Amino acid sequence: MKIINLIAIGCGVIAPLLSFSLTAKADNPVFYGLQMEQFEYRAGDEGEKLFSWNGGAFIGTDELKLRWQGEGERDINAGINEKLENRLVLQTPVSDFFDVKGGVRLDTPKGTDRWYGTVGITGLAPQWFEVDADLFVSETGDSSARLDIAYEGLITNHLILTPSVELNAAFSDDPEIEVSKGLSNIELGLRLSYDIIDRSISPYIGIVYERKLGNTASLAKDEGADYEATFAVFGLRLMF
Amino acid sequence: MPKFNSPLMRSIAISAFILGALAVSRAPALAGAGHSGGHDAENSLQIGAPGKMSDVHRTIKITMEDNFYDKEKIVVRSGETVRFLIENKGEFVHEFNIGTAAMHADHQKEMLIMMEHGALEADKINMSMMKMDMGNGMTMNHDDPNSVLLEPGKTAEIIWTFPKEAELEFACNVPGHYESGMMGKISSQ
Amino acid sequence: MKQKFVRSILSGMLAAAAIAMSSTAYAANYDLTVDYVTIDTGETQTRGIGYNGSSPGPTLRFTKGETATIRVTNNLDQPTSIHWHGIILPYQMDGVPGISFPGIAPGGTFTYQFPVQQSGTYWFHSHSGFQEPDGAYGAILIAPQKREPFKFDREYVVVLKDKHPHSGARILRNLKMMPDYYNRKQRTLSDFIDDVSKNGLTPTLSERGDWGKMRMTPTDIEDVQGFVGLINGKSPRQNWTGLFKPNERVRLRFINASAMTYFDVRIPGLTMTVVQADGNNVQPVKVDEFRISVAETYDVIVQPKEEKAYGIMAQSMGRSGFAFASLAPRVGMRAEIPPRRTDAPLLTMADMGMDHSSMGGSGMDDMSGMDHSTMSEMAGMDHSGMGAPKADPFYASGSGLIPKAVNGGKFLSYSDLKAQKPLYADRPATREIELRLTGNMERYSWSINGIKYEDAEPIRLKYGERVRFKFINETMMSHPMHLHGMWSILDAGKGKWNPVKHTININPGTTVYSETEVDAPGEWAFHCHLTYHMATGMFRKVIVEGGPAVAALKNGSQ
Repeated sequence: MKIINLIAIGCGVIAPLLSFSLTAKADNPVFYGLQMEQFEYRAGDEGEKLFSWNGGAFIGTDELKLRWQGEGERDINAGINEKLENRLVLQTPVSDFFDVKGGVRLDTPKGTDRWYGTVGITGLAPQWFEVDADLFVSETGDSSARLDIAYEGLITNHLILTPSVELNAAFSDDPEIEVSKGLSNIELGLRLSYDIIDRSISPYIGIVYERKLGNTASLAKDEGADYEATFAVFGLRLMF
Repeated sequence: MPKFNSPLMRSIAISAFILGALAVSRAPALAGAGHSGGHDAENSLQIGAPGKMSDVHRTIKITMEDNFYDKEKIVVRSGETVRFLIENKGEFVHEFNIGTAAMHADHQKEMLIMMEHGALEADKINMSMMKMDMGNGMTMNHDDPNSVLLEPGKTAEIIWTFPKEAELEFACNVPGHYESGMMGKISSQ
Repeated sequence: MKQKFVRSILSGMLAAAAIAMSSTAYAANYDLTVDYVTIDTGETQTRGIGYNGSSPGPTLRFTKGETATIRVTNNLDQPTSIHWHGIILPYQMDGVPGISFPGIAPGGTFTYQFPVQQSGTYWFHSHSGFQEPDGAYGAILIAPQKREPFKFDREYVVVLKDKHPHSGARILRNLKMMPDYYNRKQRTLSDFIDDVSKNGLTPTLSERGDWGKMRMTPTDIEDVQGFVGLINGKSPRQNWTGLFKPNERVRLRFINASAMTYFDVRIPGLTMTVVQADGNNVQPVKVDEFRISVAETYDVIVQPKEEKAYGIMAQSMGRSGFAFASLAPRVGMRAEIPPRRTDAPLLTMADMGMDHSSMGGSGMDDMSGMDHSTMSEMAGMDHSGMGAPKADPFYASGSGLIPKAVNGGKFLSYSDLKAQKPLYADRPATREIELRLTGNMERYSWSINGIKYEDAEPIRLKYGERVRFKFINETMMSHPMHLHGMWSILDAGKGKWNPVKHTININPGTTVYSETEVDAPGEWAFHCHLTYHMATGMFRKVIVEGGPAVAALKNGSQ
């Protein structure tokens, strides 16, 4: 049943994109790229040591791209993956500045594995805010949403200050992954990077504040788990 | 900003313009090598003077092309009177002007103004504008004896008595022509 | 001893003969190999592509009236092609893979053959992939049968190139990932602080807001920065030098073979007399500086009078790079590099087409010669003769790109260009074709009328007609549009004297017209000559229907 749901969602998203790609002419140039927005060591205020990454790669034409997006968080002390997410989506433009994307997501952290179908938009909002908004429906039928916004502030043409916010919300209680209905989590970041080799390698330092919200936070509190954390981060932004 | 659409306004504008230009001229010869009103004795001494037909022993034919003369150099004897027969075989207006390099340089500035204001076009001369009185007896009229300005197909004659010694050039001062090489040395022996 | 003497005399004579031959032999036959080469700028060493083992390739010389035969052998492991930029020839010889011919396969040889019907300064380059930005370019000089309408004692080709350490393919991939990948001239925090202290906080925020709303930047002038400017293959450090004797007239044949970069060219201490543009003679015009768009050529005459070195300074329009070379009376003498201009332009709302008082068609009427500013300005004019500089009608009124000569003197405008000898009788155009130059900087995709090349129908022209192209630049960048096979008569408001060009630059926020006498049957390319604009879709195929059957040309394609 779950699998059928998933396939239905997947087909609904992918079929129109695919048919579009087949009508596109063969001589459209194909491009590819790899970008790691975050690839960092996180030192928490309570001695946590994490390794965290968030990035993606794409291949495709102006009209249709296949994109992999991955993010993860590994607790170095415990040796476990707190978060491990991989998404495979097809992406096509819908306006001058925005693309629509759809595909599947597989979460394989410690604990429960989870399949999702996903649709979303990604693009550049007025005043140069990079926006990524995604909707997920899991194989168990639970739905959730995520909003990522980042802004690149140029201190100089090489020294860049990037504030970012990630907001997660669930549309139903999902105790299996310890999430409750409502806003579930926020992550605020501020990273100062310096482009040392073109835009390929840009080391950065920064600070990240992460907090569970609403009932999800209460749930964590009840269990005596942390519901907020602040990290000093340092890492590399990569683009190839 | 007003536009000078009427001929009258245009004439006034040009007069004012030329006056302004001449007023700040740094040149020793006020009007350079080719214009009425500023041709003084100093220049005559330097470059010679109009000659008489009776003194002519030699005629030199000068053909103007676009944008060059058929001759790159003219040799005259000291004090000789020469008759120049000049023909414009090109498709543009050209000048034949006897003067020093400095006089030519000044005259080029004036001709640039003439061209920018329509008194001179690439292939014709607007005589009515050239003859216009600029209010002090000066005109853009191109009637100095040491030079001729010829439309395509036209011919002209200059009889000129060269000085004892001088470093002279013959040149076309239509904008850009001198720099393109439409000039030559006059050497006196 | 004696024998040795004789031998040295003989070899001297041979050498002299060889020199004599090389200087007079306007050979009509050439063999070119397309090779991988190393391009050394003194700062970077990159693998590139050249001809006969070097980049730029050899200068090809012809005389009008000859038949040119050029055998091109491809030593690369990829297909190649050579396009003879600005040359009028049968379309099968035009060298655009997929339009004129299939291209030259690795290891293959193609023999180009065409009658040389024109004279002037031109160039050639690969029309395959990114071989041209990677180094596949060279000069073509065609001597007229009669003498030139100007005089010079010696001449030099001055080929400008924006050599980038990245390969062309990589540059485009990076631009596709991040359109401002190479833009290191963007406004920063300190610019913001400067603007706030100058203009106040509210105006500054509102100005930033206007740009932010459009998601465009006023610094979007040079897409691909980080290049080394080359003149004849030499970087400023390597200092290409042309020799002269004082008082000689030197003809400099400028060719902008760059992939992406417009250059502002000046020679401090010398006035330049422009005598030719895009291979066609123009009525001479004296300038202190000129801007050369990508793919254009300008021939200028200079007359250095002093026994000293003069610098040829070509700074890019966006001021992110420069090329430099010397003219010197002796070998080994080099000119001082003048201080680089830091007046990097900023686009304005006029460049965005926001100001409708800009030129359009009406700008042309303003050029009729008599509409100078006010009388008081005229009276106060200085005797340099130029007067208050006229607004250049080929820039949007209020444009941030309007160039100024560094010495305050004359900067060449398209409206200064007048044909020396018109190639065609002036007649009204039979119809007008509107070409809106469009694009999306954020996606780094460029197009014409909003449609990329892959999705577009060809432009169909009828043999014998005279079409009027109306270029409306709706983007914030300048685009040098190049029509293959036929001349583009730029409407500079000069009637029969309108200059005849092969590449027409259209600045942001402006509308420019050019007319073409459709006199070349076949299929042709028509595109923006900025490499990465062309590659992403600002390109059209032109089909000329009717006209004399184009004889199937015998060529050596193998």
